[in-house]
Amino acid sequence: MSEIKTLLALFADIDPAVQAIDQLREQGVSDEQMTVISGIPLTEAMLGRPRVWSNVPRLALGGAVAGMLIGIFLAVVVPNLYPIQVGRQALIAGAPTVVVLFEMTMLGMLVSTFLGVFLDSHFPSYRPKEYIEEISDGKIAILFSIPDEKETVITSALNGIGAQSITPAERRQL
Amino acid sequence: MVATAKPLEHTLLEEHEDPRQHLMLDPKPRGEMNAMVMDSMHTTSWKFWVVAILLGLVVLLCLFGAWGYLIAEGLGVAGVNRPSYWGIFLVNTVFWIGISHAGTFVSALLRVFKAEFRRPFTRAAELMTTFGLIQAGLSIFMHMGRVWLSYWLMPYPNERSLWPNFHSPLSWDFLAINTYLLASTMYLFLPLIPDLAMARDRSKGWRKVFYRLLALGFRGTEGEWTHLRTAMNIFAFAIIPVMFSVHTIVSWDFAAATRPGWSSTIFGPYFVVGALQSGIAAVAMVLVVIRATMKNMKYFLRPEHFDAMGKLMLIVSMTWSYFFFNDYMVQWYGGDKFTQMLLEFHEKGPMGWMWFAMLICNVAVPFLTLWNKKIRRTPGLLFTIGLIINIGMWFERYIIIPISLTINRMPFTWKLYKPGIEILLSIGTLSFFILIYMIASRLIPLVPVWEVQEGQMAHGLRKVGKAVVKTVSDLE
Repeated sequence: MSEIKTLLALFADIDPAVQAIDQLREQGVSDEQMTVISGIPLTEAMLGRPRVWSNVPRLALGGAVAGMLIGIFLAVVVPNLYPIQVGRQALIAGAPTVVVLFEMTMLGMLVSTFLGVFLDSHFPSYRPKEYIEEISDGKIAILFSIPDEKETVITSALNGIGAQSITPAERRQL
Repeated sequence: MVATAKPLEHTLLEEHEDPRQHLMLDPKPRGEMNAMVMDSMHTTSWKFWVVAILLGLVVLLCLFGAWGYLIAEGLGVAGVNRPSYWGIFLVNTVFWIGISHAGTFVSALLRVFKAEFRRPFTRAAELMTTFGLIQAGLSIFMHMGRVWLSYWLMPYPNERSLWPNFHSPLSWDFLAINTYLLASTMYLFLPLIPDLAMARDRSKGWRKVFYRLLALGFRGTEGEWTHLRTAMNIFAFAIIPVMFSVHTIVSWDFAAATRPGWSSTIFGPYFVVGALQSGIAAVAMVLVVIRATMKNMKYFLRPEHFDAMGKLMLIVSMTWSYFFFNDYMVQWYGGDKFTQMLLEFHEKGPMGWMWFAMLICNVAVPFLTLWNKKIRRTPGLLFTIGLIINIGMWFERYIIIPISLTINRMPFTWKLYKPGIEILLSIGTLSFFILIYMIASRLIPLVPVWEVQEGQMAHGLRKVGKAVVKTVSDLE
């Protein structure tokens, strides 16, 4: 049984990187076995890659609902528990309730959006990872796993496209 | 008669404009831009340290020393007294919240509308938001006097079974300001993560540890970028109404009181525009200082950016003038005896000079100068105009708060507010703002390099007829 090897191919520009992705697919590497790492956001459309699922919008919505419930507690439940009569205003008046609900809803939404990034991206994570510093200098890296016997064919194909380097991916402390 | 078309002189000039004067059309390799930004953080001259030490001393004396004295002696050492219970502390609170609005405005609103000139300075503006809000919070705590009881504002069931009154604009303030502080800090941090990772990759020693901790293990995978971009889009849209709500609620602290000069339905938008007026002017000032004092910043901050900021300042100044006149007109027309007296007091009273100075600073100066492209593109002049606008906006808040409180419906209480220790504390908060900004400028990449590179990737030149014009591609 052949061993699975993880390689990291580095490209100077987006076009050869996109060609390399197509080449890898032709060699039988599935999209799940590839990860593109870049110093700027490259969309799925640019890379021709399947859409990355993000839970952030759903978490934001959930946070908004939770925030609104807290707002309802503060603006509606609390005045019934500890009544404070203000002028001739109703105990639970419309306008002040809207203000409290708005602020708490937005707070809930934004905090959960922020935490959503942490959850979806597994932040913080200080374990060693496959990475090279040239990526933040604008290079595009493709991290992919292949069976050992395909290494020579794929390496020469990617070199032909213009890979700057193809090295075994090492986990290192960031 | 036959009409013939002749090219205008300025059209000819623009035809020969070097496209490389635009940052987006003058790209450098990413590695070089990274090195420039890192270099700007690591290079500190002796002047930097002298200014930092002096500011530190001022902060120690005027902020912590004077505040300690205020706490020890009580609010009697401040000028606040009947009828002006709200003095400079509240003036500073409103002023700093106003300053904080620009960061969000510049970053979020311009991001939503894809205004490309924003790219190199969004972070510098966002930093102002967070640091401005810290000064606003400090000013509120000073105003409280017994600051150790500030937790009473928190909604929790205390031993006296008292909850904050959620019908009070002051409670709304607590919720709105805290929401905004949290939101703006998170909004500052999210786009900073890739730049912190970049700094991590290029640092050694304690800086490496510092950036590694803050970068959270970011590498730049497709998933990380997708989550980050989704979150930034949500933030950009959601933080705008939060920003508007904060200063509107601050305005309700005044407008909800049936006092002459305060009871106005237009105070909400008037305050928001006032906040933008001072905030945008402050961003322009900060950009000028960054460009002049930090290494390599002339590449990132160019006359085109000052030009854009100058235009924004002019538009906001016009809007502020409109709201000011609208508010003034309705108050004047209303015919209420005490409001008439107050308006007269504003103009002809002992502080009348401040009222006229406010109009000169906020209307005359920007109107007369910012039309001119050369002025807008000259950093030193734009800094001066920004400073004048900020002085004018501080005067505006001073007129709205302690001066307007002088005239009320009980003439036997009329007395002009004279500040005491508040002056020292104001100097202290201003110095503290500058000091923490200076320190942050050496720790945080002030230019979002990845956003600049993304922008440069999206820009190009295209020939339309005989003209070569800029084009922008929508990369998202």
